Amino acid sequence: MRRKNQTLTVILFLLPALALFIGVLIYPIISSVHHSFYEYRTFDDSGAFVGFQNYIDLFNDHYRFGKSVVNALILAALSVFIQLPLSLGLALMLGKGIKGERFYLSVYFMPVLISAVVIGMLWEKIYNPIYGIITKAFEFFNWSGLPTEGLLANKKTALLAVFIPTIWQFVGYHMLLMYAGVKGVSPELREAAKLDGATDGQVNRYVVIPSIKPVIKVSIIFAITGSLKSYDLIKVFAKDARNLPYEVPSLLLVRYVFGNYGGIASAIAVMMIIMCFFFAILVNWLFKERNPYGKR
Amino acid sequence: MKKMLALLLVVAMVLSLAACKKTEEPANSGSSNSGTTNTDTKTDTKTDTKTDTKTDTKTDNGGSTEEKTTITMWCIATESDSNHNAYVKAIEEVTAKYPNVDFQWEAIENETYKTKIAAAMAANETPDIFFTWSCAYLGDFVNQGKVYCLDDTLAKYSSELPESMLGNTTYGGKHYGVPTTMNIVALFANMDLLKQAGWDKVPENYDELIKCCDDLLAAGIIPFGCAGGETWCVTEYLEPIIQKTIGSDALNDIFVNGATYDNAEVAKAVDTFQMMIDKGYFDPAGASLPNDDVKQNFIDGRTAFYQNGTWNCADFSKANDGTFLPKVKVTEFPVIDSSKSKLGQLIGGPSDTLAVSASSPNAALAAEFAAELGKAICHYGYLDGCGLPAWTPFYDTSEINPLTVAVSEICKNADSYVLFGDTAQSAVDKEPYLNAVAKVYGKELDGAGFIAELKQSIR
Repeated sequence: MRRKNQTLTVILFLLPALALFIGVLIYPIISSVHHSFYEYRTFDDSGAFVGFQNYIDLFNDHYRFGKSVVNALILAALSVFIQLPLSLGLALMLGKGIKGERFYLSVYFMPVLISAVVIGMLWEKIYNPIYGIITKAFEFFNWSGLPTEGLLANKKTALLAVFIPTIWQFVGYHMLLMYAGVKGVSPELREAAKLDGATDGQVNRYVVIPSIKPVIKVSIIFAITGSLKSYDLIKVFAKDARNLPYEVPSLLLVRYVFGNYGGIASAIAVMMIIMCFFFAILVNWLFKERNPYGKR
Repeated sequence: MKKMLALLLVVAMVLSLAACKKTEEPANSGSSNSGTTNTDTKTDTKTDTKTDTKTDTKTDNGGSTEEKTTITMWCIATESDSNHNAYVKAIEEVTAKYPNVDFQWEAIENETYKTKIAAAMAANETPDIFFTWSCAYLGDFVNQGKVYCLDDTLAKYSSELPESMLGNTTYGGKHYGVPTTMNIVALFANMDLLKQAGWDKVPENYDELIKCCDDLLAAGIIPFGCAGGETWCVTEYLEPIIQKTIGSDALNDIFVNGATYDNAEVAKAVDTFQMMIDKGYFDPAGASLPNDDVKQNFIDGRTAFYQNGTWNCADFSKANDGTFLPKVKVTEFPVIDSSKSKLGQLIGGPSDTLAVSASSPNAALAAEFAAELGKAICHYGYLDGCGLPAWTPFYDTSEINPLTVAVSEICKNADSYVLFGDTAQSAVDKEPYLNAVAKVYGKELDGAGFIAELKQSIR
């Protein structure tokens, strides 16, 4: 009887969180899947049932979805292979306990605290083809090669120009996650390695990094899913322009949902959810501890 | 100690929850967006004592009690908008006429506004009065039954508001909008720069325009500035070029009457536009810049021409403390194919409009208020140079700035108007249209590609 009451209490305590979870996460996902099977030309009118046609149309050049996914994957790759190693390097450096550790920590973390809109506008000024600091630097040193239309308008440079601030903004975020992990590594382990004659690099390589693998895994998942969902900073650069070389799925989603293509927008939302889940599962699988001797 | 701490935390949490509780009484005026907050400009204009409740009562000298009604409005007249001053003055004037109205208005940046109003329409959370663009933009909302019919209200203003100004807001023979000002796309020229290239007049025909651009380039001056960062600015160049190639009727048929884009003359016009880009007539720096920057480049003397809406007359008249105004002349884009088009065929018309939500519980009062407000905005907007009046002027117009006077001369000789493409076409057609325009400016589509893409995606 007492056990039954305890179960009931647990259920009662879980119920508000469960209701919230279903209300704000599960229901919108189901609703998006449902919407993606209809035209939804306006918010009020679901229009005709089109089945999987919206998903088929997504890969038509007209909607530019394929290109936007490629862009998001490039951003994800840059995040994993440039942003995270940078963050890890900083975390390892600061985690050693250098002088002014707190100060550096605050400085590197600062971009995370600044609004994406502010960062976007700041970098927009940096890239300005007339008075931007990059343009002025090229003029000052008499360098050539800067596109006259500016880095944001040139098809070869625009993607990188937009992704640099996106990556820069979150270096501090991942650094902080990893820093917490590095600080959590037992000093005895470090000391033992040092006594065995390991250099700083070897300590990091063989002791610290393996110890913070779960944190690195979380960072990679955040970096990839964050890249796939990136919107705010890119929207600042995009403004109202169409046909951009750096379009990402979220940018198209918002444009289509308010451009009377609700069905297509919902299909993009569903695809984004699937991609995020897929990459989260993939990273989890890649990081899974495996028995080197196979199954027993 | 732990228990005390836990208790303190619980008390703090309960207090914070209580603080979150909405203390305002629901509006019995029924304004559906009551209590909403926004980071944009939000102004509460009242002619009486300010209170926190949406509806309050006041006792007049006679001792009778009368109820105050809240009317809300959303518009795009933010502080950086040319129309801001006109809105502020108009609201001040109209609210003085309606002491029993608690008027609350909010100005939202143009692009954000389009998203916000679409979402609000879907959720039936629109304000009583909202700014809109006429033709298909408002038409989409009318078709959804979201807009209040203004036939009864506007009948009272028939002597001041010509029926010809209501065409773009009339659907199924019923009026749904109060026009404020009308604007056209015009070509602004910096005469100081033109003089440096040996031109003391604005080019009067297409050949002269091309010659002028070549002379400007030879003098080291960039002819045109066009904001690629905002695709609607590219349409301000492309649409007049198409219009002056195929004629108003043919363009109107495409935008409004469902004619196909598969028209070789349209392709020719697009190729003309791209030829001008190829020859270096357009400032390459404009490709990613927003309109404000490109306009400033024109004011700063970086480009010789700027083609955009005539609402810019207000900004040009004030720029550089008024010293820029004498340098600027305004004209219309010259005719390219005189067998199909002629001078006086213009892009534009009455587009800026105030409409009333069908869901407004005070729709009749809001309609009357919107009509008065539209008239006053027109009045002050015209005086400021934000456009030509949709309403018959009843005031002294001798102080109107010379650019606006020149625009009114152009309009006086107008042959026909075709409304802006992104307003004239439905929201569904607008998206592929703007995408294709952006591709043309980015040199991804030529004339043939443009008509092929739009033929496939629209008609």
